[in-house]
Amino acid sequence: MKQDDAHISWVEPPKLGLSGRMYLPLLAQGLTTTARHLFSQKVTTQFPEQRPEIGNPLIYRGVHRLNKDAGGRVKCVACFLCATACPAHCIDIIGTESPWDDREKYPESFTIDELRCIYCGMCEEACPVDAIELTSMFDLTGRSREEMIFDKEKLLSVYDQTKDAEPSRSQRAASEGATT
Amino acid sequence: MLLEALIKIAILIGGLMTAAAYLVLVERWMAAWIQGRIGPNRVGVPLTRIRLFGLGQPIADGLKFILKEEYVPAHVDKWLYYLAPMAILTAALAAFAVIPFGSVLPPDVSFPGGEEPIQLVVAPGIDVGMLYVFALSSMAIYGVTLGGWASNNKYSFLGGLRSSAQLIAYEIPLGLGILGVVLMTGSLRLEEIIGAQAQSGLWFAFSQPLGLLVFSVAACAEAGRLPFDLPEAEQELVGGYHTEYAGMKLMMYLVGEFLHMITAAFLIVILFFGGWHLWGVTGSSNDVNWFQAIARILVLVTKILLVVLLFMLVRWSWPRFRFDQLMALAWKVMLPLGLVHLFTMAVLSEYAERWAGGAAPWVIVGVGWLVAVAACLVAGTLTAVSTGNQAIRE
Amino acid sequence: MARVIIDSVEIEIGDDERLNGIQAAARAGIDIPRYCWHPGLSVVASCRMCLVETGTRNVETGDVVMLPKLVPACQTPARDGTVFITQSDKVQHSRAMVEEDLLIDHPIDCPICDKAGECYLQDYYFKYGHGGRRADVRPFTSRRRDVGPTVTLFTDRCVMCTRCVRFTREISGTSELMVRDRGAHEEIDIFSGFPLENKLAGNVVDICPVGALGDKDFLYQQRVWFMKRHEAVCTGCSTGCSIYVEENQDRVYRLKPRENEHVNQWWMCDEGRYGYHYVHSPKRVVGAQRRVETSEENGDNVPAYENVEWQPILDDLQARLAKAGRLAAVFSPHLTVEEAYLLAKLVHGVDAEATLAIGPVPVVGEDESYPNGFTIRAEKCPNHRGLQLVLSHFTDRVLAFDQFLEELPNIDVGATWVTGGYPQPWIDEASASRFDEVPLLIMQDIFASPLWERASYRLPGVAFAARPGSYVNHRDRLQTADWAIRPPAGARVEGSVYWQMLGMSGLYRPQRVLDEIAATVPAFAMAAGPLPSVGVDLRLNQFAEAATAAASETGDHC
Repeated sequence: MKQDDAHISWVEPPKLGLSGRMYLPLLAQGLTTTARHLFSQKVTTQFPEQRPEIGNPLIYRGVHRLNKDAGGRVKCVACFLCATACPAHCIDIIGTESPWDDREKYPESFTIDELRCIYCGMCEEACPVDAIELTSMFDLTGRSREEMIFDKEKLLSVYDQTKDAEPSRSQRAASEGATT
Repeated sequence: MLLEALIKIAILIGGLMTAAAYLVLVERWMAAWIQGRIGPNRVGVPLTRIRLFGLGQPIADGLKFILKEEYVPAHVDKWLYYLAPMAILTAALAAFAVIPFGSVLPPDVSFPGGEEPIQLVVAPGIDVGMLYVFALSSMAIYGVTLGGWASNNKYSFLGGLRSSAQLIAYEIPLGLGILGVVLMTGSLRLEEIIGAQAQSGLWFAFSQPLGLLVFSVAACAEAGRLPFDLPEAEQELVGGYHTEYAGMKLMMYLVGEFLHMITAAFLIVILFFGGWHLWGVTGSSNDVNWFQAIARILVLVTKILLVVLLFMLVRWSWPRFRFDQLMALAWKVMLPLGLVHLFTMAVLSEYAERWAGGAAPWVIVGVGWLVAVAACLVAGTLTAVSTGNQAIRE
Repeated sequence: MARVIIDSVEIEIGDDERLNGIQAAARAGIDIPRYCWHPGLSVVASCRMCLVETGTRNVETGDVVMLPKLVPACQTPARDGTVFITQSDKVQHSRAMVEEDLLIDHPIDCPICDKAGECYLQDYYFKYGHGGRRADVRPFTSRRRDVGPTVTLFTDRCVMCTRCVRFTREISGTSELMVRDRGAHEEIDIFSGFPLENKLAGNVVDICPVGALGDKDFLYQQRVWFMKRHEAVCTGCSTGCSIYVEENQDRVYRLKPRENEHVNQWWMCDEGRYGYHYVHSPKRVVGAQRRVETSEENGDNVPAYENVEWQPILDDLQARLAKAGRLAAVFSPHLTVEEAYLLAKLVHGVDAEATLAIGPVPVVGEDESYPNGFTIRAEKCPNHRGLQLVLSHFTDRVLAFDQFLEELPNIDVGATWVTGGYPQPWIDEASASRFDEVPLLIMQDIFASPLWERASYRLPGVAFAARPGSYVNHRDRLQTADWAIRPPAGARVEGSVYWQMLGMSGLYRPQRVLDEIAATVPAFAMAAGPLPSVGVDLRLNQFAEAATAAASETGDHC
């Protein structure tokens, strides 16, 4: 960084008045601010008793799910784009030839290490067929590391649990298309 | 006598340790409330759903420290590494030998040794009490620098270095701050300093605001509390001198630091806020009844608690100083202010009585405040207008 | 000297060179997009992607006269005074239109297409195509059919460049593929009843610029962008094709030919291409073992083995080797030059009279040559020639394996060091029983064999993909391969074992060994210093030496 770089805009700190330079008045001001906060409204949610309100479940980034198509088959085509986009390398896919006539490739196994995942949602962005989505389920727990590695069946079961509350992107697009 | 001292020691150490543990809880509550949270409120009676507002938290914290692995890194200087936390805790506890935690208990013949009023201080009648406290609180620097050195780690070492520079710098304002009090009472015994304030009913906080300011800032710096916590600055030094410590040894460090703050609170209350004295409640002489004796303890404890709460409020209000600002504050602001204060008090103690006679206390209060405000104004005018990035650009 | 101007860059072309516009532009550092043109195949100029503006410069006046129409660069020879303009608006527009035309009915199934990531259609669309898509004619699916046992055809992805058709006609000479129908109905197909079944069939997948031809071995296995490619040498036969080993996380997914005009040009055979699977065979032996003499049970002396860590077993072995007396070593032609040298040095260091023999050289059938000169050799090992050159440096008498077996009872050996590493079983019970009398038999191999059962020390070795080092092919060309994957746990690169037992410091570095060989073994003098990726011909040195010798004989020192 050069001192005379045109991209640097130098900002002067505000000049202190006499009271500021004496420290004490400003310190007292700081103390009153924090003292006021001592008695302010608290924002903590008392979790197990009180469920947090999720503003929009559709954009919340919780546990993943693998969507199913109309025939109940896994929608994923094993293109590995989510695994490519994943910055945490937590998605592991084994693709193979699909047993169905209208589809070429499907995931023989699809695992996500939920402990390694950073819930950034890049997999959802990358998916060309809207097969992987992040749900609003946030309170997942497990007793072992192995338990937190979700396989295809578990990810599909997450879809079954959440499909009513959170329709998949393509379902939403379809219903929006129907209403307009 | 020995038994009496041992009982006092037991009560004092037990009380201090418990106080330290619960003050940590209070501090966490304060932090949470200031930040709009609720704070620890879950741990109560184990195995039940009784929560007691989280009052079990200190016990859980303590257990956690005890059960942690006693991890000693391979590269440390073993002797010093073990010695450092012990040094800091020992120094912090030993300082309380001369600090009164009440006034006296009334004589009671019903138990042996109760014929005389019992002084509520471990080692009563030490004439150099103040010096002793200062000596021991300065010993704490050994714990910090030794810990930093023994850890054989750059961050720890930097923390230890910063600490030694900071503690040396603030020893001087700390001493200058109390000299006014010593001049006015003519004694270094803490009991006598309280007694003098109780007799006159005029706490030194009213007559010596500048001394209070200098002393409390320096005490805060000595205790390494937040605006002055450069030695452990988490953001820069990981944990400073205790980066390599864990388990009980870390706890000794943390408790030692907390005791430092409590010592500072004791001293501020005793020197400037009349110790156990409260007008119209506690009386002022050593002839006490049980009510007064208990009241004095409660008043002292309450005052100390208030000062500790202020310390905590300060911690969560103000950001940390930069190191050059810290040093500038010590040498360019606190030291001159302390000298002005000393000079004023020396003049007043010599001439106020002679000139003003019976109105002497009012003269002292008036002049004290006048000088304090004037000194602060001058200090403010002379300090740099901006600490901005001029220097970096040029 | 012909002077050619490409986008205001002037290059010179030698008089005996015949370049087309694409090759001339490549010399000037300009890439002209193309689908149908391939340096190894004839020119058809059918894809129209390489259309450029061209003209001629009058040598005397310097005036340039341009042709009004665009011409295919692949079909336009670069002569003296030829001018190519490859970046003008007209050319760019033409390329965008070609891209749009190709994509009108090209299925957009890139996510499941194995070519995605190395597909020319993708790359060129991003580089030269329009931003948007104006036609959206039908839902896209890919019709798929097998054209041979190793290759599958996705008909709709094809851009009709006919590279594959020309390959089967010109390179393999088998002509299985053809173009069926005409116009918009054109399709690549086979003649009914004659599948694409020749030993070079896999190459059509490599040259296919799009995802139309799929390699069944690789289909759906891995996305290409996950794989890292490492320069290597095929160990399938003594031709020693230059290849890339493509792996991801220590698993080889495919081998691809690497251009090397001296050896294999752009091709490789299917035997080599699909011959890597043994690398990941579950039957591989792992974990160093030492034989423990057991008491006789039921009359049979059943040898038992104990697992030992590498460090102690090598220390132990070193101690036993020093006391063993006469030594013999069998060098597998799968060893690299460096490994052979180190082992010979190791054995020679203990016993200067040691017997050195070359392991069995597998020969299957006869050499198969193809019309363009590509040859699959019958000698199914990569380094027979290299062993001969290295071992003759240590001893005058390098034994063949049969000779060695015959002489073995006569020489009173104290220890024999045998290296394997063959993909196929290489020794039968009868031959192995010749080793019964050897008191100390050290085996390095990747699969169990009759001889493995007799070994005193079992030191699992590695397969080619994990083995760094150089090979000398049948025409004395030395090529260097890099390691692509790490050996399985419990196996060690043979060379690193010798390296450690010779007390050399640090990790096994074949380059250092090769430098030493180049300095000490005259036959390898050409291998000094950093080698080009196409390798180096060791005979060049012998020619030079012969020339020098001839010159000195005649006393002519010029």
